[in-house]
Amino acid sequence: MNEAVSFLQLVVTAMVPFILAAQGTMLAGRAGVFNVAQEGVMMLGASVGFLVSLKMGGNPVGLVFAALVGAAFGWFLGWVTTRFRLDQFVIGLALFFAATGIASLLYKVVIGVTLKPPLIETLPDIEIPLLSSIPGVGTVLFTQDAMVYFAFLVSGLLYWMLYRTNLGLKLRSVGENPKAADSLGVSVARTRIWCSTAGGALMALAGAYLPMTYTGTYTEGIVAGRGWLAIALAFFGGWRPQYILAGSAFFAGMEVLALRVQVGGVDIPHQFISMLPYAATLLVMMFALRWASVPAFLGRNYDRESRH
Amino acid sequence: MTTTATPPTTTTPVKPAARRGAGLTRSVLSYALAVLLAFVVSGIVIAALGHSPVEAFRAILTTSFKSSFGFIETVQKWVPLVLLTLAFTIPLAAGKYNIGGEGQLLVGATAAAAVGITMKDAPMVVLLPLVLLVGVLAGGVYAWIAAWLMDRFGVNEILSTVLLNFVSFGIVDYVASEVWSDPAAGHPTTVPIGDGGLLPLVGTPPMHTGVLLALLVSAATVVVMRRTVPGYELRAVGTNPRAAQVHGVRIGRVAVGSLVVGGALAGFAGAIEVAGVHGKLIEGMQSNYLLLGIIIGLIARGNALAVPFVAFGIAVLEVGASAMQRTADVPSEMVLIVEALTLLFLLFSDVVGARLRRSSR
Repeated sequence: MNEAVSFLQLVVTAMVPFILAAQGTMLAGRAGVFNVAQEGVMMLGASVGFLVSLKMGGNPVGLVFAALVGAAFGWFLGWVTTRFRLDQFVIGLALFFAATGIASLLYKVVIGVTLKPPLIETLPDIEIPLLSSIPGVGTVLFTQDAMVYFAFLVSGLLYWMLYRTNLGLKLRSVGENPKAADSLGVSVARTRIWCSTAGGALMALAGAYLPMTYTGTYTEGIVAGRGWLAIALAFFGGWRPQYILAGSAFFAGMEVLALRVQVGGVDIPHQFISMLPYAATLLVMMFALRWASVPAFLGRNYDRESRH
Repeated sequence: MTTTATPPTTTTPVKPAARRGAGLTRSVLSYALAVLLAFVVSGIVIAALGHSPVEAFRAILTTSFKSSFGFIETVQKWVPLVLLTLAFTIPLAAGKYNIGGEGQLLVGATAAAAVGITMKDAPMVVLLPLVLLVGVLAGGVYAWIAAWLMDRFGVNEILSTVLLNFVSFGIVDYVASEVWSDPAAGHPTTVPIGDGGLLPLVGTPPMHTGVLLALLVSAATVVVMRRTVPGYELRAVGTNPRAAQVHGVRIGRVAVGSLVVGGALAGFAGAIEVAGVHGKLIEGMQSNYLLLGIIIGLIARGNALAVPFVAFGIAVLEVGASAMQRTADVPSEMVLIVEALTLLFLLFSDVVGARLRRSSR
């Protein structure tokens, strides 16, 4: 019982980067902007989040700065793909390189090469009164750090915004049929830029969470493919916030399982266990796509003057 | 519902071969401008960090040409770069993004090392071709997995190729630390392959002959892309899939084929690294070739003729990067930023160029 509870508690923690990065991907994608820079933006978020927390006092400030930098990258992607209609994948890949380079450069410039990297404090657990005393569930869901609650809140808000508000209807229409949206007076460019900006901020927060929970410091391998897995998760969740939230449990579960088995000394070579999250994702994608509905204009730029 | 990328509409990275002459001057001009701007902006950043941009750029640009060792190092670095770039641009010509060159290189290297180690007493006539061939095949098969998932199940090829990279890390780690591990190395490394599997060296200082093979492959790619039916079909699918299909091109098969060929070239790069540079499989030997291959491919706009030249330029920057870190104390990551900026400025120069042409008309 205790074993299961502590396992699930770790899974919920591990869900956070997946939730935030995939919801960011989804938000931009529902407006038609396919961001493929997650991996780089998450690295940059991790680097900025760590450095600002270390030098300017505290994790909250670090999170804010990481979000701002991520927003800038998202904005740039939205801006050049709408204003100049440059190819989304090419720009996304270019931003991925730029962010990856800047992330490591910043760390080297500020910290330099040290034998013992400086550490920041990890986020403290916040016990929600009353709820946290429910046996089992209380530990798993309500004895977590602030970002866990934030990730769940964001997912809920996104669901509400997309499906229960007029804004969400317009947003979705831009990703499905920009011509129709345009003809009804919705600004396609503005919607796309805003969604991409907010999406970038969420991705960077996902990255900033990593040094603040797991390592306490920035390393080059800190993101370890979570950015790419977030794209998989967006497809897996059918580009809908509620299913992305649910699907992140699978991705996080695989990750924690891989770690657990390695530590637990099971008789499988640890190298094969470390493949598990990626291989499992590929297997799942084979079947998930049958029911996944992808925004019709995903990855395509809207040209008012073209015929389709 | 397929989720594969629709071909870009306005600014395609793959340019039709037409419009030479005036087009050539213009593109050379935009390249020069993009590189210049990238260096200016990075120079400002370097100066802002309190280092000397002149010293940094001198280290970056001259290390390859100051000594014959530097030049050989650059040329040998050029080999995996040019092959990984082709692994990216050949599928790109069909509108497919292969982000899995890293995994395909590693699997090719693993297969090459496996053959080189298990048959280490075989004579060179047998072993060397076998080592290279197995690398090519393994890379192709590895890319085929992603191509099959794309064709059969509609799994986005960007995703599947990337995820297979992470799977390949586990494979290399397992082979290098469990199967043929060399415990003396202190890092996941295999025992050396047989001498018969090593690429012969030429000249002084010695350069491995994989360089010639890579030259041959890049020349062959240009010919195949421009002068043969498969190359034509490939470009047709990338430019207008619907038109290609109407005219009887089997677009699914062409897309799968382009990914497999790309993977085979990446696997070839892996085999050459094993047979020419390291003589064994080493964890982490893929360096950052994947990123560089994509950057080179995008800067060259997928043009097979431009790829070797751009790859050489990037190889010069990469060899210069570590020298820059030593002499000018600027972190070597600065080079990645120079490269990313070059690409971004180049893309912007398209936009600016189109505006200028429209307004002058």
